[in-house]
Amino acid sequence: MLEKNTELHEKFWEIFNKQDRHKVDEFKAYMDKFAVNFNLYKDGNFIEQSLPFDVVPRIISTGEFAKIDRGLQQRVKALNLFLEDLYTDAKIVKEGIIPETFVKEAGGYLKEFAGFSPSQKIRAHINGIDLVKDSADDEWVILEDNLRVPSGASYPLSIRDTYRKIYPDFFENLKIDPIKDYPSMIADSMEYVNTGGIDVVLTPGRFNSAYYEHSYLAEKSGAHLVRPHELKVVDKKVYFKNYNGKLIRVGSIYRRTDDEFLDPKFFNPDSLIGVPGLVDAYLAGNVALMNAIGNGVADDKGIYYFVPKMIKYYLGEEPILKNAPTYLPYFEEDRKYVFDNMEKLVIKDVAEAGGYGVLFGHEMTQLQMEDLKTIIKANPRRFIAQELIEFYDEKCYLNKELQNRKADFRAYVVMAEDVKVWQCGLTRYALEEGNYLVNSSQGGGFKDTWVMEL
Amino acid sequence: MEELITANVATNLYWLGRNLKRANETLHKISKAYDDIIDVDIDAGRKLYKTFNIELEYDGAVDFLQQAILGEHSANILELTANARESAIISRHRLDSDAFGEIIELHALFDSITKTDREIDYKLIDHAHSLISEIWGTFSKREHTNKSDLFIKMGKLVEEADLRIRFNKDEAITVTVIEEIDAIVKVLSEDEEPVKQTQSQNSEENDLMGVVNTKINQVIIEEV
Repeated sequence: MLEKNTELHEKFWEIFNKQDRHKVDEFKAYMDKFAVNFNLYKDGNFIEQSLPFDVVPRIISTGEFAKIDRGLQQRVKALNLFLEDLYTDAKIVKEGIIPETFVKEAGGYLKEFAGFSPSQKIRAHINGIDLVKDSADDEWVILEDNLRVPSGASYPLSIRDTYRKIYPDFFENLKIDPIKDYPSMIADSMEYVNTGGIDVVLTPGRFNSAYYEHSYLAEKSGAHLVRPHELKVVDKKVYFKNYNGKLIRVGSIYRRTDDEFLDPKFFNPDSLIGVPGLVDAYLAGNVALMNAIGNGVADDKGIYYFVPKMIKYYLGEEPILKNAPTYLPYFEEDRKYVFDNMEKLVIKDVAEAGGYGVLFGHEMTQLQMEDLKTIIKANPRRFIAQELIEFYDEKCYLNKELQNRKADFRAYVVMAEDVKVWQCGLTRYALEEGNYLVNSSQGGGFKDTWVMEL
Repeated sequence: MEELITANVATNLYWLGRNLKRANETLHKISKAYDDIIDVDIDAGRKLYKTFNIELEYDGAVDFLQQAILGEHSANILELTANARESAIISRHRLDSDAFGEIIELHALFDSITKTDREIDYKLIDHAHSLISEIWGTFSKREHTNKSDLFIKMGKLVEEADLRIRFNKDEAITVTVIEEIDAIVKVLSEDEEPVKQTQSQNSEENDLMGVVNTKINQVIIEEV
């Protein structure tokens, strides 16, 4: 279902319909020329592929985005307070707001970091919050919080840059919010938590799926792009190795590597993409890591259920943005509801990401549902269930015609002294009509998001 | 503040300069040989590739282009542009974005030939020449403004020196090219004294390039 057309949409279509359709090919050629890529490994081979994209932007009015902005600021503040509390005083657990066992069984909880507080007490520096707009009540709903290493911000930046070159008419005639400040938001965050030294973006390397993004954000934010072996830890301090052999002190690291690969001395000893000794330097307070180690607990799909409670607990406020109605089979009452209503629910494995481990009740046979119930009974903490949200489609210009695709929206929220929501985001659409999975790893594409006013 | 560049990026910038210069010069020589093969000297292509220590076989002017550009040998233009593309991707955050885009396009131009039945012709070579000229033009716009550009320029000059020696070009000019390399080495190695050497002191080709390579190793320090 498409969202109701507004005057803003009409203004867009008025200009779009006057454009030469061949410009769409020009657009793609321009994106290819600048290698806007998403790398992957298939059958043991490294493949560089362009991300599918669409030229029709998602349009959100300034007024509507203001509510998203307030809601996301509130949510990220609460999540940051939750992480800081959980790893220090753990009051939220002691006071029974979240069951202790529930937190400690979260895959992303790292007990070794209990008692440690990072620079400026900021843990959730760069966050990607996934939302959809529910067609039932026209409201935005939070689907997922990504507080570890959320990716994707460089793609709307690249598409916007291309848009302005190929279709300047839109930007001359419409009031579209500019978006170029995202790299400076990252730079501000790095500077705010910097413990003394230069800022670097740590990439696993050229063959990582998001290398394009690492390189892009380093260039635009003014940080130095480094691979793991280009950093060296001496006496619990991190240094950048310059080409001439000089060692330069590093004060903050925007790492694009998951916790378990970050330091082979501390985590996985087989990691070839880690920096030996980095965790010691971090725990000594000699370097800031963005995002903090151990944030995976807040990304946990089970912990997501408790975010509205966190907002009330830490901020004393009602949540501005809703969660999708969620049930935890871990609680007996919820489990009964899930088992009785499985055919209308979406069941998610909390350990999976990228659209994997998502099962739609309406697509399952009776036998499959019975099997799933057995698996859930054996390990209820591993699953959550959510009501299926009929979120809006977006119009996409694909194969030279307009088609409807389900689309979500990843908003980026950056913490420095204040919490800021980027006035753009990554709108992802599904590969096929009617498909609810929009993830890039599921073949989905992306489009620009315009925050506009009349 | 001191400009910071990792050894890996510095090395890739240097090789970007070398590979682009090599592709540029080789394409010029291929164009000349192609013209000669038509009606002046059927062996012109073989003689050219002999200077690269490659035995190239072809049965006419068009086939020569095919073999020179896509053949299985180390002076294959497709491979040179693929190497330049790889270096550009690794050092992208240090490059002008227009130059980066032209490098991607240059490789895509040759790569597209391998995926279609299109025959290689003079138009493709002309297009490649234009792209390379645009890349050099973009680099020259901001030459001397930062160290990244000096690494590219150093690679370009080293390749030029190499080709001049290989094709027995005027020695005096070759020495001036090496003096330019010295000047860049001095800036890049800051407090280090560059290795001094002139062609008159050492006329063996390998020795001269050996000295140049020593200068480069003095600049970029890769820690094992």
